[in-house]
Amino acid sequence: MASEAVHSGAHSGVHAEAHEEAHHELPARVEPDVTTSELIATTEANATGVRNWMWILGALTLVGIVVAFVKVLIEWSDQDEWGYTAAMVAFLFSAFGGAPLVAIAGTLAKGNWVRPIARFAALCSLVSIICTIWMIPLILNLPMLVVDGARRRSIWFEGPDVSPHIWALVAMITLIISALGLIYAYAIPDFAAMRDHSTGWKQRFGAWLARGWIGTTVQWRTMRMRIGMMGTLYFFTFVFVHFIISTDFAMSLVPGWRDAIFPMYHAISSIQAGLAVTVIGLWAARKYLGLNKYLHLDQFWSIGRLMFAFTLLWGYFFISAFIVFWYGRSGSDQMWIDYLILGPYFWVFILAVLFIWFTPWWWLIWNRVRRSYNGTAIGAGLILLGVFLDRVRLYVAAWTVPEDRIHERFLTEYPSTVYPDVMDIFIMVGALAGSILLILAATRVLPILSIWDVQQFNLLYRPVEYMKTKVSLIGKPD
Amino acid sequence: MSKSVLGLYNDPNQAADAMDALKNAGFAQGTFDVLTGTPYPEGAFGEHVPQHRLFRFPAFGAIIGFTLALFLTAATQIAYPLVTGGKPILSLFAMLVILYEMSMLSAVISTVVGIVIESRLPNVNPGVYDNRITEGLIGVVITTDDDKADTAIDALNGAGAMEIKQA
Repeated sequence: MASEAVHSGAHSGVHAEAHEEAHHELPARVEPDVTTSELIATTEANATGVRNWMWILGALTLVGIVVAFVKVLIEWSDQDEWGYTAAMVAFLFSAFGGAPLVAIAGTLAKGNWVRPIARFAALCSLVSIICTIWMIPLILNLPMLVVDGARRRSIWFEGPDVSPHIWALVAMITLIISALGLIYAYAIPDFAAMRDHSTGWKQRFGAWLARGWIGTTVQWRTMRMRIGMMGTLYFFTFVFVHFIISTDFAMSLVPGWRDAIFPMYHAISSIQAGLAVTVIGLWAARKYLGLNKYLHLDQFWSIGRLMFAFTLLWGYFFISAFIVFWYGRSGSDQMWIDYLILGPYFWVFILAVLFIWFTPWWWLIWNRVRRSYNGTAIGAGLILLGVFLDRVRLYVAAWTVPEDRIHERFLTEYPSTVYPDVMDIFIMVGALAGSILLILAATRVLPILSIWDVQQFNLLYRPVEYMKTKVSLIGKPD
Repeated sequence: MSKSVLGLYNDPNQAADAMDALKNAGFAQGTFDVLTGTPYPEGAFGEHVPQHRLFRFPAFGAIIGFTLALFLTAATQIAYPLVTGGKPILSLFAMLVILYEMSMLSAVISTVVGIVIESRLPNVNPGVYDNRITEGLIGVVITTDDDKADTAIDALNGAGAMEIKQA
């Protein structure tokens, strides 16, 4: 071990005990054989309950797909009818796509607390597959760059007419490959554990995907490297896809909307939502899969602090964009404020700000909230609702701009509010259900917590007495 | 004929002792290795830590993708010379998005290929192995000539192996 970190805060006596109860319920170490058998058993845990949920989610997904086909048949060429689908895709990509960054950042920074949760966070990236499928009708409905000889403002200065369509799809495929590579990089040792200790098709599946993994020095060494590399590549692809989606599927559809900060704002709120999804997933895993032994307050507390930081950061990014338009006062600046803030989605904007920023800020600011499982999960729920409303405000507004006015210098007449119809609601619910179903199905194959990561957590961690309190002693290998 | 011998240990310190014993018995570094179900800090068992070349794969992939994108964007702009905003025909900023995207795509694909190659996967002949390694036991494995197998077994047993397996 190159260094050791003493991790605690308590000082003495009564204060130390109170502190211990409030925060430092130090995790008990779990033996490796128990970890392996219990985590492999989670793929069968609560089988009836999970199966029932999977049937319900599957039915909702199917209804969503059928309704989408009906919508394609009857409302194909109406671009404004696809605003809520665009908002949902942007939301799913933001929330689930941002979650793996929790695992990536924590792993690259060698944080011990992140080890038990890295698997779930990485699994969330599977939703990029759902997003890509739902993007197909959006890509087909996205206006061409050049309509009636006029070229709309976009990032494709000299590109062919279908540049946004093609490159958005290529970007999503790159993200899917990165996501699958990241999940597989994390999972090979666990496939070996399944090969060694599962039965039936899971044993055969594990054996096939473990590809002869036996845990040699070379295999572990290259695994560390590939997690680092795939994580880095995922991050770079993730921010790029945010750039593409936010510019091609929102900003370039509203004439006069020119905001250099918007792609970053999009990515920051996505990381905020990704943290929230991770918290809710872990909360559900504790509650319904009985993983209390492996998921501790430390994980919730750490992510709670990050969520709080990103909540404040959202305010910073929003104001940084807003102040330019507020003081710019040109026609296009005024249009941005009138259409996207004060316009047809004013109340959606107010609710979005309330849930994405103001309420989580004054909720997560309290140490007591962040040091509780339920408190952090409630904060996460508020943030997800806020991010969803924010995406509705931006994407529905963008997709309701008529195609014949998309080339104007800036929008002068604002389309009225578009409310979701029954089909929109079924599509949105179906897309969300499909995303949850995919992750749930993945946890029936792979343990929701990575076996080797949990074992390494236990390997490098010792609860020890330090003066009059107890602290975690954590080894940090180079 | 060569033979693989595996010693299984409950205690990591005994596994480290076994590695020392094999080294002292004259076996060359690289002929023996430690098998674990969880990544111990590198060098914890005194094992030989080999160099890897994994970083070459994304770098090589990115260069290939960048070159292809450069060719695609430059060729398109030269084939259809449209002056946009008074900028040069070959404008780097118009090409940047595609250069980045294709570099990333190519880097990601080549990294996935690199993972498989550098991890020595698929490992079609994993040799001697024990399922309990993924439950926390530590294995020390050596591949040696038949006539030196007994020396290896003595070294592994001397460090307190709970079980010896051969293949």
